[in-house]
Amino acid sequence: MARVIGGIGTSHVPTIAMAYDKGKQNDPDWTPLFRGYEPVAKWLAEKKPDVLFFCFNDHATTFFFDHYPTFALGVGEEYRIADEGLGERPIPRLKGHAALARHIAHSLVADEFDLSLFQDLPLDHGLHSPLTMMWPSKPDWPGAVIPLVVNVLQHPLPTPRRCYRLGQAIRRAVLSYPQDLKVAMVGTGGLSHQMIGERAGYNNEEWDREFLELIDRDPERLAAMSIEDFMRLGGNEGAEVIMWLIMRGALDERAKKRHQNYYLPMTTAMAVALFE
Amino acid sequence: MSNYVFDLERSARGLRLNRFLHGFTRKEMRELFKRDPDAAMKDLTPEERDMVRRLDWKAMQDYGASFFCLEKFARIKGVSNPEMVSAFRGETLEAFLKTRRVPGAR
Repeated sequence: MARVIGGIGTSHVPTIAMAYDKGKQNDPDWTPLFRGYEPVAKWLAEKKPDVLFFCFNDHATTFFFDHYPTFALGVGEEYRIADEGLGERPIPRLKGHAALARHIAHSLVADEFDLSLFQDLPLDHGLHSPLTMMWPSKPDWPGAVIPLVVNVLQHPLPTPRRCYRLGQAIRRAVLSYPQDLKVAMVGTGGLSHQMIGERAGYNNEEWDREFLELIDRDPERLAAMSIEDFMRLGGNEGAEVIMWLIMRGALDERAKKRHQNYYLPMTTAMAVALFE
Repeated sequence: MSNYVFDLERSARGLRLNRFLHGFTRKEMRELFKRDPDAAMKDLTPEERDMVRRLDWKAMQDYGASFFCLEKFARIKGVSNPEMVSAFRGETLEAFLKTRRVPGAR
């Protein structure tokens, strides 16, 4: 039987990938970020999950507004790295886990989550900017990913409650898969930031700290909030932290936060947290 | 709360401009824009072309451009996100960086 061994919450800011690709590990402006991922990378290296189930958003890269899905699950064997304007990042293609992903698709639809399904599409930094901080890409990735793309760009967005329930349904799907597989959940996004409008550059560290507590101790309270609450507190783009609720919903009820790091250098608060 | 919510109305208004900006995810489009900007912008209205030519990030945003489509254009122009954010705020990059904790982290 497949198991959910734990979860990771992480920002997916593109500058994280830029700092990694430019080798800024020892640049004092970036070391607080890199150090913060070390316990997570160590945990993954020790636990060796077969699959990382990634809840993230596409940044109008692979999907465009002529057809922008609310929830889209990747069911392919392999995913290319998307070109976001500067060519592909120099990292290997991502391996999918088609068999488990197809099972999850069947289980979720039977559970009344009518997802959009995709294959043979490239994936953008929403997934691989945090991935390279935690998982070695050389000589190749140590395991597979299952991408779940969530609309946090074009309103109406799914409610926080819906995201939490989807996470719970993903847990049921994984646990009903007959093969022994270790799955780790990854919820990406945030924390507070706003990139647009008169409030561009907005951050709220107090709310970020509270969010990091609530996602651990009281996710129900976050699930009961509205998208407007998340936008007001964490900035318009900061509302994307609802994707952490998918991750959290898929964890064992007894899961606890084991590590967290918070760094707010520029426009987006960069956080990572580990739950087991 | 902010008035700038990228909703279905804004998305519909900005669709043509966003489709153009999204095109920069393709190498052929990047090369065409460099070689022959008018040909690359053939589907845009004169007003839209003008904003693009002037790299007027705020005008494009107000018109209906998605931040994430603008990002593609900014990357090929070598413009950073903090630079775009300062344009939306109506201030210089230098002034914006003074409000940040680690101005070098970009």
